[in-house]
Amino acid sequence: MYVGLSDADLAPRIADGDSEAEAEMCRRMGPRIRLYGLRHLRSSSAADDLVQQVLLKVIEALRAARLRESDKLAHFVLGTCRMVVVELRRASHRQEALLAKFGSDLIPEPPPMPTLDDRQLARCVQTLKERERSVVVMTFYDEHTAAETARSLGISEANVRVIRHRAVAQLRDCLGVTL
Amino acid sequence: MTTKNDGGTGCSNLVEAATLMDYWLALLPSTAEDAIEEHLMTCDACGDRLRHVISLSEGLRTLARSGSLMVVISDRFVKHAAETGLRVREYAPARGESIPCTVAADDDMLVARLAVDLTTASHVDLSWCDPRGVEHQRMADIPIDVESGSVICQQSITWGKASPSMTLTARLLAVNEAGEEHLLGEYTFNHTRTIPGPPGWEVS
Repeated sequence: MYVGLSDADLAPRIADGDSEAEAEMCRRMGPRIRLYGLRHLRSSSAADDLVQQVLLKVIEALRAARLRESDKLAHFVLGTCRMVVVELRRASHRQEALLAKFGSDLIPEPPPMPTLDDRQLARCVQTLKERERSVVVMTFYDEHTAAETARSLGISEANVRVIRHRAVAQLRDCLGVTL
Repeated sequence: MTTKNDGGTGCSNLVEAATLMDYWLALLPSTAEDAIEEHLMTCDACGDRLRHVISLSEGLRTLARSGSLMVVISDRFVKHAAETGLRVREYAPARGESIPCTVAADDDMLVARLAVDLTTASHVDLSWCDPRGVEHQRMADIPIDVESGSVICQQSITWGKASPSMTLTARLLAVNEAGEEHLLGEYTFNHTRTIPGPPGWEVS
């Protein structure tokens, strides 16, 4: 019954104490928060912590009807993500007690990550042109910036971007991944 | 934000795959990154596509760190690999030199540093030949840094560990627009297998 509701429809129901609406909000927002966490924290466990802490704060705010414009729920969640990431980087976990109390309710099952055939990927990388392979290896080894890779290979940053985009597109084709 | 039309995903504002990769690699300016994040917080279709991007990125990172690729790299990259804990085995023959070499079981990365003057070259091929001069592999139009005075080639560590004792010659060739080749340098590696057990193949 809640699946068809918009994000904006969920917020007032949560304020009215509707636990199913709360669960649906967690189911929707959990994977999105996790992606944000993976991008900024670069760790699955840290991303899971972020999901818990953000959902906890969001539920508290929604229960207290502190979100005045319900169509801003996603924006509010994103803002909370940013705030919590800053907190996570700045200090130790201050909400361990709260998480111990509510944490088990705040672990929506994340969607599985797509799997790749590592051998096929290696074969695909070997089919790249030499410059493309060098750029790919140096970019992804430690997520070097275009400037670092450009400096290392004696080519321009713009050229590195073009080569990287072309190589990644070719790799997706080779792997049969359509986005 | 670079987007394209709905591909039947339910998203009317699909983020381009290249933009998602740049987002994952933290290569976007902050305004573009903010726009992507606002979109991802409302769009599960693009979230699913980002998961594919992350999966590819992680696969490439694992592959890049495996040392199993044959690829031209930079001096800075070799230093960084060593700093991040990889055990790097490096050989640096002078032009025309023939050197002994081997690979140990606990090596992570195998590197040939070929000293060469690249000031007159724009297109360079790296050719790997057997002692009879038969070319076994050619790396065409390799990236070069003219000021570095060398070409650094990572040989596959997987290949190196499986290799029997054998001799390989690396030849750096300048290639002009007419396809004519000019030898820039030749370097011979006399590999002795020291890892116990049989090699992965026999020398023909």
